[in-house]
Amino acid sequence: MIALQQISITTIVYLTTIVAVAYYATRRREQGRSIVANPHVYSLTLAVYCSSWTYYGSVGRAATSGLDFLTIYLGPTLVCFSWWFFLRKIILISKKENIVSIADFISSRYGKSNYLGMIVTLFAVLGIVPYIALQLKAIAYTFNLLGELPEVSSSPLHELIPQIPHFIDTAFIVAIFLSLFCILFGAMRLDSTERHEGLMAAIALESIVKLIAFLAVGIFVTYGMFNGFTDIFGQFTNLYPEKEHLLLIPSECGSGARWFTMTFMSMMAIMFLPRQFHAMVIENSDHHHIRTAMWAFPAYMFLLNLFVLPIALGGIITFNGDTSLADYFVLSMPLASGQQSLAILVFIGGFSAAAGMVMLESVASSTMILNNLAMPIILRCNLKKSDISSLLLNIKRIAIVSVIFLGYFYYRTLGTSEALINIGLISFMAATQFAPALLGGLYWERANHRGTAIGLIMGFFVWIYTLIIPTFVDAGWLPLSVILEGPFGLEWLRPTALFYLNSLDMWSHSLFWTLFFNVGSFLAFSIATTPTSSEVSQAQRFVQVATWKEPQHQHTRISKAPTLMEFVNLMSKFIGEKQANTAIASYLGDREIDEKGSLSEHEIPNLKLFTEKTLAASVGAAAARIIIENYLSARGSKMEDVFNIFGTVSLSRKASREQLSVLYEAAHAVSSGADLGSIFESILDLLYHQFRFDLCAIRIYNEETNILELRNFRGIDTEFLSHANREINEETCIGTTYVLNKVILANDSDCIDKPLSMEIIRREGIKSFAHAPITVEGQPIGVLSSYSRYAKGIYTDEFIELYKNLAAQIGIAWRNANQTAQLIKASEHEKELRIAESIQLGLLPDKMPQLPGVDIAAICVPAKQVGGDYYDFIVQPPNLDIVIADVSGHNIGAALLMAEARTFIQARAQQLPSSQAILDVLNRFMHDDLTKAELFITMFYLQYNSDKQQISYANAGHNHPLILRKGSKTFEELDTEGLILGIINDVTFEQRHCPLNTGDLLMLYTDGIIEAENNLEEMFGMEQLKSAILENADLSAQEIIDNTMSLARMFQGRRHFNDDVTIVVLKIDNTINP
Amino acid sequence: MSNESTTQQRQIWLIFFFLGIVMLNFPFLQIFNRVETIFGIPILVLYLLCGWPLSIVIIFIFTKTIQCEDCDKHPPED
Repeated sequence: MIALQQISITTIVYLTTIVAVAYYATRRREQGRSIVANPHVYSLTLAVYCSSWTYYGSVGRAATSGLDFLTIYLGPTLVCFSWWFFLRKIILISKKENIVSIADFISSRYGKSNYLGMIVTLFAVLGIVPYIALQLKAIAYTFNLLGELPEVSSSPLHELIPQIPHFIDTAFIVAIFLSLFCILFGAMRLDSTERHEGLMAAIALESIVKLIAFLAVGIFVTYGMFNGFTDIFGQFTNLYPEKEHLLLIPSECGSGARWFTMTFMSMMAIMFLPRQFHAMVIENSDHHHIRTAMWAFPAYMFLLNLFVLPIALGGIITFNGDTSLADYFVLSMPLASGQQSLAILVFIGGFSAAAGMVMLESVASSTMILNNLAMPIILRCNLKKSDISSLLLNIKRIAIVSVIFLGYFYYRTLGTSEALINIGLISFMAATQFAPALLGGLYWERANHRGTAIGLIMGFFVWIYTLIIPTFVDAGWLPLSVILEGPFGLEWLRPTALFYLNSLDMWSHSLFWTLFFNVGSFLAFSIATTPTSSEVSQAQRFVQVATWKEPQHQHTRISKAPTLMEFVNLMSKFIGEKQANTAIASYLGDREIDEKGSLSEHEIPNLKLFTEKTLAASVGAAAARIIIENYLSARGSKMEDVFNIFGTVSLSRKASREQLSVLYEAAHAVSSGADLGSIFESILDLLYHQFRFDLCAIRIYNEETNILELRNFRGIDTEFLSHANREINEETCIGTTYVLNKVILANDSDCIDKPLSMEIIRREGIKSFAHAPITVEGQPIGVLSSYSRYAKGIYTDEFIELYKNLAAQIGIAWRNANQTAQLIKASEHEKELRIAESIQLGLLPDKMPQLPGVDIAAICVPAKQVGGDYYDFIVQPPNLDIVIADVSGHNIGAALLMAEARTFIQARAQQLPSSQAILDVLNRFMHDDLTKAELFITMFYLQYNSDKQQISYANAGHNHPLILRKGSKTFEELDTEGLILGIINDVTFEQRHCPLNTGDLLMLYTDGIIEAENNLEEMFGMEQLKSAILENADLSAQEIIDNTMSLARMFQGRRHFNDDVTIVVLKIDNTINP
Repeated sequence: MSNESTTQQRQIWLIFFFLGIVMLNFPFLQIFNRVETIFGIPILVLYLLCGWPLSIVIIFIFTKTIQCEDCDKHPPED
């Protein structure tokens, strides 16, 4: 006998170690250095499959019914072949959809159906409660066996404190401890990922411990008590030849079916037992861990089973063929050999196997109970509290305790009967019922919730009938006649030979009928009924998980959408403020927020999805959907399909082509060459008809009035929209569009923040509108507006792009029209200048005066069309008056003043006695006009008397004419005092005289010639002019001018004269006689 | 790994999966369902205790052929 204290202390130390490891794992995860996120730990956690039912039961089963215990492990090994494709797909879906349990998975796959989640939860809990009972029984029984306590329900506490109530036995204490542990590491908070690293670390540790313990006892029995495998087998066949069937598969009819059934059930169990699903899928941190688990987990099972047969056979030999306590051979063999420490190790191993299973199963069940049973009720109660996360957490804790204690009560009620023996396989069969729903859901899009629900209900009903009823009969709760004669004497309804099918063993019989009804209903109803739209979308997400992409354009919008903060508050209510804030921060991390700190309208549906998924992680997909829907409907928001504005475009079928077509039409209108009004009309027509707006309008900025004036509109004729101009300020949406030079739109006119616009929009019943700036070279020149009275949310990003392009086309049309107007204006101006030019040229002498002894030539080259230079001759023999003048400026004004001066001179010259007098009178006459025009004139007036061969001259600030005397190489400059005309009214001009003899040459010029520039910006200058004259002095006057001009032009190169050039050359040549 | 080799891999897995189911079930097991022993160990026990680790080795080899980076790029289309 082992002292109770010793067992208790060892157990307590072991429990403390588990708690410490779990705590350490939790801490490490919080620090971001998880020890659990590791393929080997993951593989170990899967070994939670090996509960105490297999730890102790395998040996029991091997000792009583032979090799078929192996099927429980061969099935999972075979399934491992499929994991890389099958399990990985489930994990990928679960991560994408934030699945938290198998019930959640099935409910989520079938359109987030709430009642389906309920069905799965009820059946899952129903299926596992006896299984938990079995674990509690194993712990209690082995504890009592170790301490050699007489009663199954006894407890060490009764020895220490005899007065404590009777029901507090070992199993009760174990149940309490396990509940506390599960709450501590499984329900400390509502985790948004539903991963419990502390719990998983504990389970991995337990897996190691149970393997070590089992290997230790196996090695001890095989090599300590016996002499190896051969010895055990040899002794066994010699001593118990009648038990030879234990080493064979009985060849009687049906054993093949039974073998297959058990393999198949264990294949399904490893995938679909709630705790396995939880460990494999929900707690998986990286789907690549599957690669290791695929071989490590079967290898683990192989090691665990290596010594099952030797222990079983050794037990039979040791206990002289007594197999009544075969289930506990593992423990009783070392005890029988006096190996107390080994016995304690085996007990700890068995404890680990049982505890791991109970912990994970209860946490997985509590999640399902909370999400699928409690949440619908809570949501129906519609609690007004702002934060119900603690309520939810407490429900989860209660659920954990309830599941464990349901197991406890089951154990207390049925514990001593034979009803526990087959509990493991009964649970496996229950898990198998989930297979059609899951497999069908993963690979068959047509599978729908009706088929699934009816299939599950049928499957579970037949499961209860074919397996649970016989168990109750065994327990004595029901009369034996139910099995033998059928209920109410209906023989065809016998639970183990339904419809007279009596050739199969109990398991194959049950498997056949459950799957027959389950799969049959599943297929029939799935094919016969139509899935809902949400179901179709979920089916695609699940079946095509690898290729499924979210639609790029969100084609739904939320009217009266909640703000970001409202979504956060909603999440806080269910998962607590801290978790909600963390979640939203990670969501916003990679998203752009507009200047107001809110999300764009098209981001809101995504945020809604995110909120739903986050909630789903804590409360399940079905509950999350209900929460969001209730919330939205409570605040009057609803999901609306985005009105497909391109849907009405009749030009083409595909959106992009439609866009192009509309733009093409617009461009066509712009390039049509029609006047601006018609182009605007056509573009507005296009918008109005193709997109069915109620009003489209163009406003163009008017610089003079500083307002946006309405140019054209199409659609409803209302005072405030179709006829109103807008001021340039940010009080209206149109003004803002112009000022900010960006598109302003309101998909929901209830949401605009400008009171003025709001008032107008309300009055006109506009539901949505958009304004786009019309720009020319990036600068706004007007605003294109469109309004709709019938649909909200029509302005998609796609449409706004098109809309902006249309506004740009309007800008181009406007610019084109403006340029044309300018061209016309320019050409009219040109025409006027040509007239002015011809008039001006007409004012110059059309021919040179023909005087005897005088060779005279002149040229006037205006730099622009109208010039400011002027020369003239007035012939009054024997006098010849020569005038040369330069009016500042080259415009029409200068030309007019020149004409005035000419007219005056032509009219008055003959009446005035001298050059000086002429300039004097002219200055007085012109002064006012010149001052007004801010112009002035330089003029040189020269009178040549041919009789006297003398010139008299006066100068008003003009360039000094040059005289080249006959035979001389130097020039005389004619210089007199005199101010420019138009500066002051009263000027005294000096008059001088000098002879001009035969052979002398006189040149009058304006500054255009000497200021002619070349590319180097050098001037032609006086010296070059003089040398040109000198070179050509012997030639005629005309030739002198021609050669000088060509010299000046050559000097300029590619340049043109900056200023008008005028030259008059007078040569006294007696040979000339006209 | 191309999609083609993923498909091939899947087919090889299917063959082994069904082979495993066949070889660890009746009637195949009936071949070894005899009283004879080899090295003192019953032939059926020996068959199961060798066939099982063999299938684990096959899975192990199979997992080694999975290229991680490729499987990310080309997730199987199931």
